[in-house]
Amino acid sequence: MTARLATDADALSLLLAKHGLELARHLRRLVRDDDVAADLLQDTFLRAHRALARLRPDSNERAWLYRIATNAALNHLRAKARESAVLERHARERAIEAPAWLHAEGPGDGARAPDPRHAAVWARVAALPERQRLALTLRVTGECDYDEIARRMGGTAAGARANVHQALKTLRKEFQ
Amino acid sequence: MTPRDTAEDRADRALVQRAFKHLTGRSGEPVQYALMDDTPVGVLGLAAVPAGLLRLEFIGGEEPFVQRLLALFPDQPVERSWALDKVRRELERYFAGRRFTFDTRVDLSGLTPFQRKVLGETVKVPAGRYTTYSRLAAKAGRPRAARAAGNALHDNPVAIIVPCHRVLRGDGSLGGYAGGLEAKAWLLRHEGALL
Repeated sequence: MTARLATDADALSLLLAKHGLELARHLRRLVRDDDVAADLLQDTFLRAHRALARLRPDSNERAWLYRIATNAALNHLRAKARESAVLERHARERAIEAPAWLHAEGPGDGARAPDPRHAAVWARVAALPERQRLALTLRVTGECDYDEIARRMGGTAAGARANVHQALKTLRKEFQ
Repeated sequence: MTPRDTAEDRADRALVQRAFKHLTGRSGEPVQYALMDDTPVGVLGLAAVPAGLLRLEFIGGEEPFVQRLLALFPDQPVERSWALDKVRRELERYFAGRRFTFDTRVDLSGLTPFQRKVLGETVKVPAGRYTTYSRLAAKAGRPRAARAAGNALHDNPVAIIVPCHRVLRGDGSLGGYAGGLEAKAWLLRHEGALL
């Protein structure tokens, strides 16, 4: 952030203007429910706005918003998974019900619906280390190539690839 | 709208509009903006509503431009958009020297009648030609209001498309320009009005 704005609402508006559409797309793809995504989007920007004072001026504002949004969405999916513990066990037993991207060559165009059966997988995604979690969700839901992931998260394309690879390896081991 | 305006784009925009309304109270018609980074006259900021282009400005960067839009349109959401492709293509053609006219609709509803008149006369000056502040004032119906005409041009919300760079002082010197005199001279040379 380069300038302090006249009012709090202005600072929030500035964040929303610059990043709102992109984050809306990210959240809609993650949770596949526009009303839930709308709530999460507002939570994300409120939380970001409250934390603005702590954000270092040189830090990557966009990566930071992606982190907040992804965590919010995964918390939501994890809560849903907890509600359906039976389904979770079911999914663990039957890998066929895991989302297609988990067993595809590489993710990219899978992960359409957060089918309750997939909630267990998303719950596990939520427990991955932060950079893996973020890289994987961008790869799976954002139709991002590795350059784009690096651009959004900060870091390099090779690093993004390594994070996605490691995340998939962990998940496949558990849901195979 | 453009081919980019898919159902997904609309759904994304609906979410952002809800967020603006609930978090900031901005509930009017969204103002969409875009940047053109690498033009021969520097970075340009564009802003539009469906009725037409609202702003075409020389800007220092994204943040000050968005801050100005938020101040200019205090009741409206502001969002970064790809929906301004058409005017961007027209500007690219302009900078490439292939075409010096624009079909983009411009929304001047926020201006005074005199300002609108001055800008309307300015649009009639073709590329490769120029006029003066006093001639322009006369055409706008106030022959002695050269300074007021200059002010109207200074407040021109859509540079280049309303070609205020084609208006010079009576003595042939450049006068002023929001994008800097270097940019003004570049535009006039590009159009063949200056050597």
